[in-house]
Amino acid sequence: MKPSSTATGTIIGLTLVFLIGPFIVIILAALTAGNNLAFPPDGLSLKWFIKVFTVESFRISFLISMFLAVFGTLTALIVGVPAAYAIARYDIPGAGAIQLAVSSPLIVPGIIVGLALLRYLVIPTGFTIMAALFLAHAALILPYAVRVVTSSLQNLRVDVEEAALILGCSRLGSFFRVVFPNIRGGILAAFILGFVTSFNQVPVSLFLSGPGVRTLPIDMLAYMETTYDPSVAALACLLAIMSVGIVFLAERFLGFSRYV
Amino acid sequence: MSDFVSVDKLTLAYGDAVAVPELSFGIGKGELIALLGPSGCGKTTTMRAIAGLMTPKSGTIRIDGRDVTRLAPSLREVGLVFQSYALFPHLTVFENVAFGLKMRKAPNIRERVMAGLDSVGLRDFANRLTPDLSGGQQQRVSLARSLVVEPKVLLLDEPLSNLDARLRLEMQMVLKDIQKTTGVTMIFVTHDQSEALALADRIVLMKDGRIVQSGLAEEMYSAPRSRFAADFFGFENILPGRDGGLLAWRPTAIRLGDGPHEGTIRGMSFGGDYRTYVIDSTLGEIKGSVRAGLPAFGEGEKVRFDLPEGEAVRLEAA
Repeated sequence: MKPSSTATGTIIGLTLVFLIGPFIVIILAALTAGNNLAFPPDGLSLKWFIKVFTVESFRISFLISMFLAVFGTLTALIVGVPAAYAIARYDIPGAGAIQLAVSSPLIVPGIIVGLALLRYLVIPTGFTIMAALFLAHAALILPYAVRVVTSSLQNLRVDVEEAALILGCSRLGSFFRVVFPNIRGGILAAFILGFVTSFNQVPVSLFLSGPGVRTLPIDMLAYMETTYDPSVAALACLLAIMSVGIVFLAERFLGFSRYV
Repeated sequence: MSDFVSVDKLTLAYGDAVAVPELSFGIGKGELIALLGPSGCGKTTTMRAIAGLMTPKSGTIRIDGRDVTRLAPSLREVGLVFQSYALFPHLTVFENVAFGLKMRKAPNIRERVMAGLDSVGLRDFANRLTPDLSGGQQQRVSLARSLVVEPKVLLLDEPLSNLDARLRLEMQMVLKDIQKTTGVTMIFVTHDQSEALALADRIVLMKDGRIVQSGLAEEMYSAPRSRFAADFFGFENILPGRDGGLLAWRPTAIRLGDGPHEGTIRGMSFGGDYRTYVIDSTLGEIKGSVRAGLPAFGEGEKVRFDLPEGEAVRLEAA
């Protein structure tokens, strides 16, 4: 039996409402002219958007999150690209185990990772919170980096590299002259995916916060505990716009969805 | 030791599986030879070893007197035209052809690339990206890319098999022309006897990593020595002779309509100049061809035939 198109339409419609609905609620709540986080909004104004930029802890935690997202992702790529290359090109013993190990941050609940790092790394060794956060974020992004880059490597024929070797390249030279330019799109896609994942990450970061060191999402949670005003909604809007903007640009210039 | 390329007791293996055991052959300077054989016979593996893409288990490979067995591919002065052409997808036609010259920091790159593109008729395509080209054009870019660096040996993997009949003839001419004008030694790999015959000066026929027979193309075609070689070169009727040896006939050597044997026509295929019949007889299945202009036999029809001993090739080995 063919499902009727009205039923299909209803399901799609409801799905969209559930996906986009909360976002619209947040936008409207952020635009309120009142002093409480409420929906529907009490008049319209941009004052909470302006307020966001005056909260000092937001500025600091934004910079921390930015730092983690950019350098955590770069680190994950520096480790992940060679790993992806080895997995895609060589018949290495235990490739399955390596892939599983690399993917484990996806499988193990983030909150456990965060707690474990705090309890067994930060507390006994005096590792700084910042260093632990950095490590956790890089590890969390690694599976994405390996996966996305592996799939773009699989689209590049091996004999193209062999041709470069015969024409005078060293192995390393052929990687930089031939492989890299052809997987650049995949690497950029992995970067964006990693960046967004890191930036929006809550569970791992939850335990890893200390005096003056908090990622932005954690800082927003803390802020809401003390001050229940719409500036958090405004900040959420700004972050959502940033994420959408990045993905939109990536899709526009890279065909991002090919890689993910 | 006068061979320009010499392969001596070369053993090639994938892990523990030996693909080529102790293979030896030599090639003269400027020769165009074919490594011919069914898939899995070790011909491609051998070619990859000559190019340096595979490390031999034992044995030596010499090019122009130099032992290159353990040398990196980049230092061997060989060119390889891959079956898939293996062009660099992110580079233009010009940049593809210039690649090897740039790696060598050669002078006059621009002139040499344009001359290379000229020789394969692609001067006007210099600024195109390679994925936009047809298969035949990609192959010519690949050929030009290999040739501009003036390799001592040019290796070609199934150079004609992806081309249609017209392009095949054209590429054949291009390759023969290259042989004449540059004098480069060429080795190509193919599973198709007609390609080997059309192009090669000399054919090395391989089976299970060993050489079955090698010789001039015409010699191989008219005088195969073994059942395998005869079968490969179209002697479709192989029967024991009176003295116990093996005799082989091409379908065209069988005389139909008259003779000491009788059989039943089981099927026919029309090949243009000839009709080839499959005949069930007491001798087994016989394939016989008759000029297309002559009257045809019908399916199920009884037909008399002759296996003229004068037309048979005597095989030395099973």
